[in-house]
Amino acid sequence: MNAVARHIHPGWAIIAPLLVLVVALYLGPILNIMWLSVTDPEPGLGNYRKLFEGDTLLRIVWTTLRICVITTVFSVTLGYSIAYAMVHCHQRQKNYMLTLLLVSFWISILVRTFSWLMLLGRNGLVNNTLETLGLISAPIAFMRNELGVLIGMVHYMIPYAVLPLLVSMQSLDSRVMDASRNLGASGSQTFWRIYLPLTLPGIVASTLLVFILSLGFYVTPAVLGGGKVLMVAEYISVQLLVTLKWGTAAMLAALMLAGVLAMLWIMSRFMKLSAVFGGSTR
Amino acid sequence: MQDKQFMKEMLTESAHAYKEGRMDRRTFLALCGASGIAMNAVLAGDAQAAADHVVMWNWGGQSVECHGSAIGEAFTAATGKGVKFDTSGPLEGKIKEMVDSGNVTADVADADLFNAVSLGPTGHLEPIDYSIVSKDKTLPGYALEFGVSVILYGYAFVYDTEAYGDNPPKDWKDFFDTANFPGTRALYKWANGSLEAALMADGVAGDALYPLDMERALNKIKSIKDDSIYWGSGSEVHSMVVNSEVTMAIVWQNRGRNMENDTDGRFKLVNNQAMAMPGAYIVPKGNPAGREAVMQFIATAQEVPAQLKLLDCLGMTPSNPAAFGEIPEDQQPYAITSAMNIDKIVYNDPTWWGENGGDAVNAFLEAIS
Amino acid sequence: MADAFSGGSLRIEGVSKYFGAFRAVNEVDLEIRKGEFLTLLGPSGSGKTTLLMMIAGFLDITSGDIALDGSSIAEVPAEKRNFGMVFQGYALFPHMTVRDNIGYALSVRKRPEAEIRARVDEMLELVQLQDFANRKPGQLSGGQQQRVALARALCFAPPVLLLDEPLGALDKKLRVEVQEQLKDIHRRVGTTFIYVTHDQEEALSMSDRIVIMRDGAIEQVGSPQELYERPATRFAASFLGKSNFIHQNGRAYALRPEKIDIHLGSGHPQARRSGTITSITYFGSMQRIIVETTEAEQIEVDIDVWRNRQPLHEGEVVELSWQDAAAVELNES
Repeated sequence: MNAVARHIHPGWAIIAPLLVLVVALYLGPILNIMWLSVTDPEPGLGNYRKLFEGDTLLRIVWTTLRICVITTVFSVTLGYSIAYAMVHCHQRQKNYMLTLLLVSFWISILVRTFSWLMLLGRNGLVNNTLETLGLISAPIAFMRNELGVLIGMVHYMIPYAVLPLLVSMQSLDSRVMDASRNLGASGSQTFWRIYLPLTLPGIVASTLLVFILSLGFYVTPAVLGGGKVLMVAEYISVQLLVTLKWGTAAMLAALMLAGVLAMLWIMSRFMKLSAVFGGSTR
Repeated sequence: MQDKQFMKEMLTESAHAYKEGRMDRRTFLALCGASGIAMNAVLAGDAQAAADHVVMWNWGGQSVECHGSAIGEAFTAATGKGVKFDTSGPLEGKIKEMVDSGNVTADVADADLFNAVSLGPTGHLEPIDYSIVSKDKTLPGYALEFGVSVILYGYAFVYDTEAYGDNPPKDWKDFFDTANFPGTRALYKWANGSLEAALMADGVAGDALYPLDMERALNKIKSIKDDSIYWGSGSEVHSMVVNSEVTMAIVWQNRGRNMENDTDGRFKLVNNQAMAMPGAYIVPKGNPAGREAVMQFIATAQEVPAQLKLLDCLGMTPSNPAAFGEIPEDQQPYAITSAMNIDKIVYNDPTWWGENGGDAVNAFLEAIS
Repeated sequence: MADAFSGGSLRIEGVSKYFGAFRAVNEVDLEIRKGEFLTLLGPSGSGKTTLLMMIAGFLDITSGDIALDGSSIAEVPAEKRNFGMVFQGYALFPHMTVRDNIGYALSVRKRPEAEIRARVDEMLELVQLQDFANRKPGQLSGGQQQRVALARALCFAPPVLLLDEPLGALDKKLRVEVQEQLKDIHRRVGTTFIYVTHDQEEALSMSDRIVIMRDGAIEQVGSPQELYERPATRFAASFLGKSNFIHQNGRAYALRPEKIDIHLGSGHPQARRSGTITSITYFGSMQRIIVETTEAEQIEVDIDVWRNRQPLHEGEVVELSWQDAAAVELNES
């Protein structure tokens, strides 16, 4: 007993209550979901078997993955350009941009979603203008389809993509880029060989953040998809609230959790996660 | 889910007001900005059930005001008990969760009658006390063990008069006929109403719908899938119609009047073959105010004056046959149990939906996604 | 090795740099000779780094011209100037090995793999890092990183090598060692070195010529010995080594502490000042004595402890003497 006590830092006593609370509040519900997924409506792996009975669930999972991957690619690419512009413009413009970025965090997702309808809907500003100008004869279907979902999601995710990239770019030593130029490298050589590799941890952090957040989206797909783009999160919500198939919902939630953990694990095989999450590489 | 729908409603309504010049731009933007906070405020809910009042669990928006004036005032006058509201929306999953958690905070939920069929036998609802509530003050078949229909709403459709001119669509058959009536349709995403409409369009008689032939219905739905979009909330379909995203839409008939007004008559409601949906009051098991108080509340809502006020305020049609004849003339076109509509409508079977609804919704989602 | 290099000469003509209204460099004229080791010395804010950055091409010049071997490079971008540079803090590429760092300049010039390999091997040998070729910079000591930076900057045989306080991050003992290596490499490669520092000892021990800078302008240029022995201004005299400043016949003179003789008591024939010792500080090889003279001057005298065995004490009356040549007249303005 004493031997054990000697090895435990007394500091643990201070954080122990907090630790217990965190475990209770986070781990508890997660275990509950896991439990539900193998007990509701009856004990066994029946819920998981449903994945392979018919293609409905697999199709929803596939739609979700496809949309999340495309969203992530566009958000991170656009976010990278924005972060780059912010880091390299004047302080005043940078402050403006940062303010706009942060303000967008406070605008509710519903407002943004409906704003897109006003802008790009069938009778939205863009279609009306183009029709008035005689550039198109019928409205372009930007909304109520997968394109609409992607536009809405990318727009929502860009600020999330920008922040980790901004941190990553700001922490770079600009002299390293000067050194590259001094050694004769052109702008694009410096970008591809020095800047991009050095901001890779930021890109990975941004990708993980956007992808994981995208997985949980349902308001935007539900509204901008015109009901035809069904993603896992919305399906889970329907199973919980409308059809009362809690076992199916829990199974899908457990699957998403496992997917995210697997992704982190694969990522950790290639690079130190501490570098991605802001720790030092050394 | 429903808290979000509330915000959606509020924002779409105000987006309207803004568009029509009833609200200035600044107010609209402020409203948009505030919504993030407002949502939490709604979520938190100040409804605290106790013995001296009844907590009504409804869908927010106008219904707080309408339920208060139509039922609450008479109920308070008769019993001395107050009425409070929880506006988070009594979806089936939420009722189940509330009862299962043992923390029941609502006394009466403004739900669908099929909820009474699915949640009653599993022990999540109090049975209706028919010594206080009257079986005669609703339509036959709509007074069930665990819930009683207090109002009716309906699935009807609206169409764009500019799109179809002299040859307007008259029934569900026309609604599903995209060859002769080209244009985008909006259907209800959670299946009910949409499935019945599809079967009627395919030739099934209105009184022979149940049990639903799911395969036949879904095939019909899929046949116009490329020309369809789907809505999940009243405000969503409202904006689809007002913004002319569609040329025909299945709508909750009580919203038809608003749509006609908001489009200056460009869209028109068709009540032919409209499906009457029994909206029901159900009581979560172990409700805080006790059975007697809540049964008195439900009985109050059945009375003719309350029924007419609900029609006036929310557009919900009376289910008490004694009120049918009292429907004012200007409301008759929009009330499905009015003399001018009652012979054209069909009736939803809550028992079939209570027993098969979950699978039907999932099959429908699979078909449209 | 030396034949791979050919030092360049630089002419800086009337170069000024403004940051907004602030004048960082003011009308600098300077000839830098082929193959020389030239040091820009000055306190921080004197404009030495700004001048170096203009030579490197990282900063535009506001007015004036810079020419390499007779042709202007003012409009040539940094990546086309072909100047090597060792940065403050080295600015190594942290994600590349030592070998890739050193070979970078050749690799971006798309030179054949084999040529790069051979050249990098040569460079590794020059800076004695053959065993570290596959390490990443993070795994090296400060001194080793400094050598990688040097090898990287020299790998493409630039005519001019710019060094921006390259020893600033090293501890004092290592610094002396690296100074020797740098001088040695300079002798071997023959490239023109332009070296920026605020450390006068570094400047004195390594440079062929030193440029003392102050407030964006050149204060004095010359060999270390010229500058030490014949400082032109009070600033030059006090920045490079220590100096006493005395006035005689209305003129100002600088007088190095080690060039003064001290005599106990009074009546020495060559005595120029007399006074009282107010402080004695012992430094091992020498001791510093501060004398308050009867003219109320504070004069510092450094004396060789070994050769002046006569013990001195605070409060004793002494006389000071020096040769005429020891006192350097200053341009006082």
